[in-house]
Amino acid sequence: MVSQQELVKEARENGMELLPLEKDTYELFFGPQHMATENYSLILKMDGNRVVKAIANPGFLHRGFEKLAEYRPWYTNIALFLRVCVPEPDVPEAIYSMAVDELMGWEVPERAQWIRTTVLEMARVTSYLFWTMGMAFKLGVYTAGQWAAAYRERFMALFEELTGARVYHIYTIPGGVRRDIPGDKWLRQLRDTVEYLKDKLKDFDNVLFENYITFKRLEGIGVMDKKFALEEGVTGPNLRATGVKADVRKLDPYLLYPELDFEVPVLKEGDALARVLVRRFEIEQDLYILEQLLEMGPPSGPYKVEDPRLKALPRFKVPAGDAYAHVEATGGDFGAYVISEGGNKPYRVQIRGPSISHGVRVIEQLLVGARIADVPVILMSLGNCPPDIDR
Amino acid sequence: MNLEKEQMIVEKILQKAPYAEGTVRRQRRIEFRIPPDRIRDFLMLLKENNFETMMQITAVDWLKDGEIELVYQMWSYTHAVHAFVKTRIPRDVDKARVPTVRDIYPVAETYERDAHEFYKVTFEGNDKLEMPWILEDEDKEAGVCHRKDFDMLGYVKKKYKLLDRFEEDKEDYVI
Repeated sequence: MVSQQELVKEARENGMELLPLEKDTYELFFGPQHMATENYSLILKMDGNRVVKAIANPGFLHRGFEKLAEYRPWYTNIALFLRVCVPEPDVPEAIYSMAVDELMGWEVPERAQWIRTTVLEMARVTSYLFWTMGMAFKLGVYTAGQWAAAYRERFMALFEELTGARVYHIYTIPGGVRRDIPGDKWLRQLRDTVEYLKDKLKDFDNVLFENYITFKRLEGIGVMDKKFALEEGVTGPNLRATGVKADVRKLDPYLLYPELDFEVPVLKEGDALARVLVRRFEIEQDLYILEQLLEMGPPSGPYKVEDPRLKALPRFKVPAGDAYAHVEATGGDFGAYVISEGGNKPYRVQIRGPSISHGVRVIEQLLVGARIADVPVILMSLGNCPPDIDR
Repeated sequence: MNLEKEQMIVEKILQKAPYAEGTVRRQRRIEFRIPPDRIRDFLMLLKENNFETMMQITAVDWLKDGEIELVYQMWSYTHAVHAFVKTRIPRDVDKARVPTVRDIYPVAETYERDAHEFYKVTFEGNDKLEMPWILEDEDKEAGVCHRKDFDMLGYVKKKYKLLDRFEEDKEDYVI
């Protein structure tokens, strides 16, 4: 065993200075290369295998979308903002479009509203499957993770047929959607996929959500209470896991959600297990919503607004004003604040991703006292999505 | 459209805060304009009135007016109402100062760090403002920010040596 003094001496001889850390603590750079953090880094001060202090270190994905948007015409910005959230790119498209719709004073046609709602719900299911994959991998339950990735592929194929792209759809645009539903065959395929996935949920329960390993690993770690969650700006499934019945789709209803019947799952424990189970129940609710939408069927009519101003898109102008739109994403409350000065470009756009509250202060406090092996699990249970923070 | 609920909230808050101006924008959206030195009092009042969560602090650079507008986006789960709390401060880097609100809404600390880095607003009392956030040191020293007078295209051309790809006299680039 080399003594501390010898280490310090050796370091000095080689032109290095060891930082004086208290007790037996050491600093650990967790990410951005670590698979669990997804281009996001945490600086952990460790004592043995316990975290003493955690410092969030974002910024590896900063592309300056908000500034870039100020240089580009209104419609081209769609292709930027969807890159803010990779697992569910339809959400930033939808909020930006909804804010612009409000500024324009447009009533989006019913058919477009139906398509937007369906796309948002499909995005939610896709994103939850992606998250299930990540969570299962972090718990070591690889089978469930691979199933989730495979089932997500079915939705990807549907997205490809609807929008022409697999991941970045650039589909929801101000005033409606970019193109119409390909036909009844697509609707039948969607119905089949929803039914297929509904069947498979039982398998997920058996292997992942009711698994002894899941309970053993997740119970009682990363606990937060209701007061903490509200003050720290926690939203979405993470807030619902602390016992607050809050869902933007119910509280600030948009698109067709007022007409749909669904439940908001709530658990009280506030630990990582509760956050995982809330998400599990939400997959079920989202599939139920998709079923209802298919039952309803797309209303007939145009799929985007008919406005003479749309004929020359680069010169398309939006009246001066500001608007805030938000939707319930799988991470939480996803909002966009859009300001127009009356020109052909936005004056200012701000995207509010849920991870800006989950991924900085909340994670710093939840990790204190956690074991190193639980760090990826807590991070994943919060549904942290680093591009939300960096933008 | 029934706006009774929103009007009641605005009236209730304005009674206790005579310095503020309040309007109902539409269903579930209300707006307040307040002087910058009263921001702490006003947000405390909002918290008492069940605005549990702060969603974001948006800084907007109004170059023509020489002012930075801070928009505190507040959300109430009890009322299901979104409130814009707007305040304007001078644009000069030395004078762009407001008191921090992180002891009222702890999450504001993160938003304040963001607004400080990209709009150079100083939130007095927040000691985490100078901690590394998103930008790299090299960019920070070069003065990179999202203010309107920062020449982003010029900086990008210089940094990535893309001088030949752009025409100097063309202003209206779609990047």
